[in-house]
Amino acid sequence: MNAPVGTFKERAKKALGDSNLRVALDRTTGNARTKRAAAVAAWPEFDEARKQAAALKDHALDNFAYYLEQFERNALASGAKIHWARDAKEACAAVIDICRQASAKTATRSKSMLGEEIGLPHALAEAGIRRVETDLAEHIIQLAGETPSHIIWPAAHRTREDVSKLFQKHHRDHLLLTEVEAMVASARHELRNDFFGADVGISGANYLVAETGAICTITNEGNAELTTTPPRVHIVTAGIEKIVATTEHALQLTRVLVRSATGADLTQYTTFHCGPKREGDRDGPEEFHIVLVDHGRTQMLEEMPEMLRCVRCGACLNHCVVYRKIGGHAYGGAYPGPMGSALTPVFDGLENTRDLPHACTMNGLCKAVCPVDIPLPTLLRDWRAKSFEAGYEPPGVQRALKIWAFVATKPKLYRLALSIALPLLRRLGKDGWISRLPFAPAWTDTRDFPTPPKQTFLAQVASGEH
Amino acid sequence: MNARDAIFSALRRLRPEHLLTDALETQARELAGAMKACLPPLEFSDLVENFTARVTADKVGATVERLAGWSALPEAVARYAEAHGLEKEAALQPDPRLTGLDWGGVRPAPLKPDTMLAVGAARGGIAETGSLVFHSGPDAPTLYNFEPLHHIVALEARSVVARFEDYAAAEKGQPQPRNVNFITGASGTTDIEGVLARGAHGPRRLHIVFIG
Repeated sequence: MNAPVGTFKERAKKALGDSNLRVALDRTTGNARTKRAAAVAAWPEFDEARKQAAALKDHALDNFAYYLEQFERNALASGAKIHWARDAKEACAAVIDICRQASAKTATRSKSMLGEEIGLPHALAEAGIRRVETDLAEHIIQLAGETPSHIIWPAAHRTREDVSKLFQKHHRDHLLLTEVEAMVASARHELRNDFFGADVGISGANYLVAETGAICTITNEGNAELTTTPPRVHIVTAGIEKIVATTEHALQLTRVLVRSATGADLTQYTTFHCGPKREGDRDGPEEFHIVLVDHGRTQMLEEMPEMLRCVRCGACLNHCVVYRKIGGHAYGGAYPGPMGSALTPVFDGLENTRDLPHACTMNGLCKAVCPVDIPLPTLLRDWRAKSFEAGYEPPGVQRALKIWAFVATKPKLYRLALSIALPLLRRLGKDGWISRLPFAPAWTDTRDFPTPPKQTFLAQVASGEH
Repeated sequence: MNARDAIFSALRRLRPEHLLTDALETQARELAGAMKACLPPLEFSDLVENFTARVTADKVGATVERLAGWSALPEAVARYAEAHGLEKEAALQPDPRLTGLDWGGVRPAPLKPDTMLAVGAARGGIAETGSLVFHSGPDAPTLYNFEPLHHIVALEARSVVARFEDYAAAEKGQPQPRNVNFITGASGTTDIEGVLARGAHGPRRLHIVFIG
């Protein structure tokens, strides 16, 4: 696994100069936006449904202990074993311990962002357990030795040409393929034996259903069921915020989740798993373990509870003008884009990640497309304020903000400053754009700055232009 | 304090429980009801027609046919095998509605990781998305839905309900099966550049046969 190298700014700069990355990101996020828009257009009351979906999640979170305890009780009654973990280390230790007790040599894994968040791939490697990623994109990045760059499309940074080269090098048949269909068939062939030879199957969970004790997985490939059914042991790793009250709530949330993620009405496979193999069953795991992970959730419940609604659909990534330019790896955490910038400071500390909440234009698109109406721009602004208050901002930024605050609260002084700055900026402009700002050259390295109008807005109003 | 106690103690401190079970259940029901007031519209009022339109749409890509009764199924399976250049051999889900039929020219075969053709019988269907419903059990092992390359599924027309809420209402209070599979079209992936490709790990083709 590649740990992030350098600072956020260094990584972002490198990404901006990578034209192959631009092609891959444009193709994947462009397709995703088009498909989501079509799905939402076919549902006139989608916006109201988003608010209702938020209410469903809030209901579970407002009664968190009640529903989590109900889930635990019902899961135990189904024969599941429950493991609790306060942090990433405890969560990984629980998984490794189960694997060791099962004498597991090989574990298949279906995509789980929680698994990435707690560093499970690394922990399995350290424990000497062979990990086989079965989601196609996770398979691609496992071959490339990379981490996911998108929460729905972990290989969003890879073009089909990249994938073709990786498969030719690593797959047993070493074929050079040009069609996506053929690449998918090659991966199917490559992974088939591992599905049926693994000792342990590890999945995440989209929901923990309190009323039944079932967990839900949502996939398109069918790899989750092929990961969780044949091996003797199925391990689920899930954040405790995945709790929902009822099966009905889970299905209602899935309606908005899937449309927001891939633009489908429903994923191909939506599966509820409840306990181990039963009498008379011809398949299914003999042991069913659920590792329930806090890792910052209780802290979020106190500091930014709205973020616990997140259903990990990725719509905010696909619509974010920053994500679309720099991709996921530049963010340096398990979760990129707007939701990642809100989450990563919780996991890695604000002092180390203070650049992330700044990587936002505040255009509000992420909130507008969020299927559970998370006020992401507000959460990111709150992180900025916390960073300023904690003194994490560089001295230059702190001084500049203080000067700006001083000027902005004195209208006469503010107008005077603008009357000096406007003509200066206008002198730099050509054809309506400024290609190089002397005081912020990095800003204009990869984009142009619009030339401001002759007069300020207030002056335009006064002269009757507005 | 162990991890479980630490987590519950934090949750109870931050969200003290205030509602009784009855009140919570009422609230949960009301919230589901509020969502029901803003559902995506159904294109057709006839459930089989709506199911068919959804599941044969380009983005799902399954195929559909309709038979008068179960006894016509083996012949339909034989026709499908012939049309797709497959041997007339199929793994049959051990559902009595299937195993009780006279399979004539179609040879029953055991299910294997490289099974070409399997025939299943769904428990029900959801019209709004064209989803098949399976509950795992002795007559419905989970892997029949995932191992074959071609999957033919028989679905009784009368078992199709309009919405997911109708499914949830019918199952409320019933024992939870080990697996509940909602299957909507054949296996697919958009993991390479967001382009849809079929047959990722599950079936490449899904053919649904309405019975009745």
